[in-house]
Amino acid sequence: MNALFQSELRKLIYLRANWLLLLWSGLFAALGTVAPIVVLNSETQGMGMGFSGTSTPEGINAVFANAAGGYLFALIMGILIMTNEFRHGTAVGTFLVTPKRSTVLVAKLIAAALAGLVVQIFSFLIALTSGLIALTFFEPHSPVTGELIWKVFRASALSGIVLGIVGVGLGALVKNQVAAVTGAVIWTLIVEGLVVAFVESIGKYLPAGAITGLVDLDFGSNDFNFSIENYLSPGPAILVLLGYAAIFSLVAMRTTLRRDLD
Amino acid sequence: MAEIKIEFKNLSKQYKDVLAVSNFSAQVVSGRVTGFLGPNGAGKSTALRCLLGLVTPTSGEALINGGSYSDLSEPIKHVGALLDSRGFHPGLTAMQNMKVMASASAIDFSRIPELLKLVDLEHATNKRTKGFSLGMKQRLSLAIAMLGDPEILVLDEPANGLDPIGIVWLREFVKKLAAEGRTILISSHQLAEMQNTVDDVVIINKGELVAEGSISEICKGKTLEEAFLDLTLRRSA
Repeated sequence: MNALFQSELRKLIYLRANWLLLLWSGLFAALGTVAPIVVLNSETQGMGMGFSGTSTPEGINAVFANAAGGYLFALIMGILIMTNEFRHGTAVGTFLVTPKRSTVLVAKLIAAALAGLVVQIFSFLIALTSGLIALTFFEPHSPVTGELIWKVFRASALSGIVLGIVGVGLGALVKNQVAAVTGAVIWTLIVEGLVVAFVESIGKYLPAGAITGLVDLDFGSNDFNFSIENYLSPGPAILVLLGYAAIFSLVAMRTTLRRDLD
Repeated sequence: MAEIKIEFKNLSKQYKDVLAVSNFSAQVVSGRVTGFLGPNGAGKSTALRCLLGLVTPTSGEALINGGSYSDLSEPIKHVGALLDSRGFHPGLTAMQNMKVMASASAIDFSRIPELLKLVDLEHATNKRTKGFSLGMKQRLSLAIAMLGDPEILVLDEPANGLDPIGIVWLREFVKKLAAEGRTILISSHQLAEMQNTVDDVVIINKGELVAEGSISEICKGKTLEEAFLDLTLRRSA
């Protein structure tokens, strides 16, 4: 298993596309904190969305909660780790070296957890740094507390690990790279966002809702009827996310990964 | 005494409406080069994939050293396989692709430059494989097959994409490996080439065994091409 894990790490490190994805996650993360700082401090005060400006703790929470928002890239990284094997035909070589497909899947799950963690810590650091720099243009502002930074860091790290794992499970199930990535992006950015925003009772059990619970920050947006109390607490949120990974992986082991490699 | 290294025992594989391999039995013995011949769609690749655990047989079994491929510990140290030219990532260099495969089986990287030299690819060591010609991909696949220094080699159409010089090179390469005492099962359409390369022949057509034996027993004074056409056309008629 150790050798197989090392082999997976080599694939991750050697592929330029993975580094590009990491850079994109950093850009996305920077936008995630800088843009709301500008918007919240605009004349329309958060474009009338009910958010407080950065002079309040809720406003600062709303801005820096986005530092954990790069989990989509961790999910995509997980999907690529699995679907690259089928897209480029390397699954044959991989399964010749390690015929037990469940062992390959486990090695990929571990590699994806690590990759997701790296993606999220990198994007968290970029988002935090960018946000702190942007705030210097909008003095005075509410302080960015150590507790806030810790909560967002924790959410970033855990969501990176779990979403990387979910990505591998999803990739193993869907196998088609374009379909898996497109589906994940549409689901995460559009479908899930709407469900989480408008049907919290269901949304809190979806990955984005669980991640919101994992971040565990109160944005204070009354106009959106948002309250962190309506979401899962961090512990159950992690279990929900791991549940998705387990279901996808188990279904894949019993279906797609069992099929013949022609 | 020659030892049975590869054995197909009543192997069958059904794909929906197509019976790709039908009750196929054959043996490959140690230290010999065995040609696995058959027309397109005869079932060669399916039989080889069953042997290597990539395809699950509908019935029967395909064995290596008396057991299944998936039961081998560190299989690429026992069996090297070339199945097609898509066994590596196009975004990685030849060296990186080999390191990925080697590290998965804890094989020392010091072997890689030697293997790339063996397949005449040392000039392309650090080139990304997406720019490789089909012939270069076949050579890299051969190098990967040799990574574990296996006693058994399974090569499916290794001459595909090779130019005449490449085909001559392949012939010498296979002969050199055979001279080292390795057991080689090689499928090919290049019958004239195979005549110069193989010791034994297994012929399959429409998923069934047509003939099996040493090349002299199969050819009986004819060329391999004539014998092959006689056996496959006669059986089809």
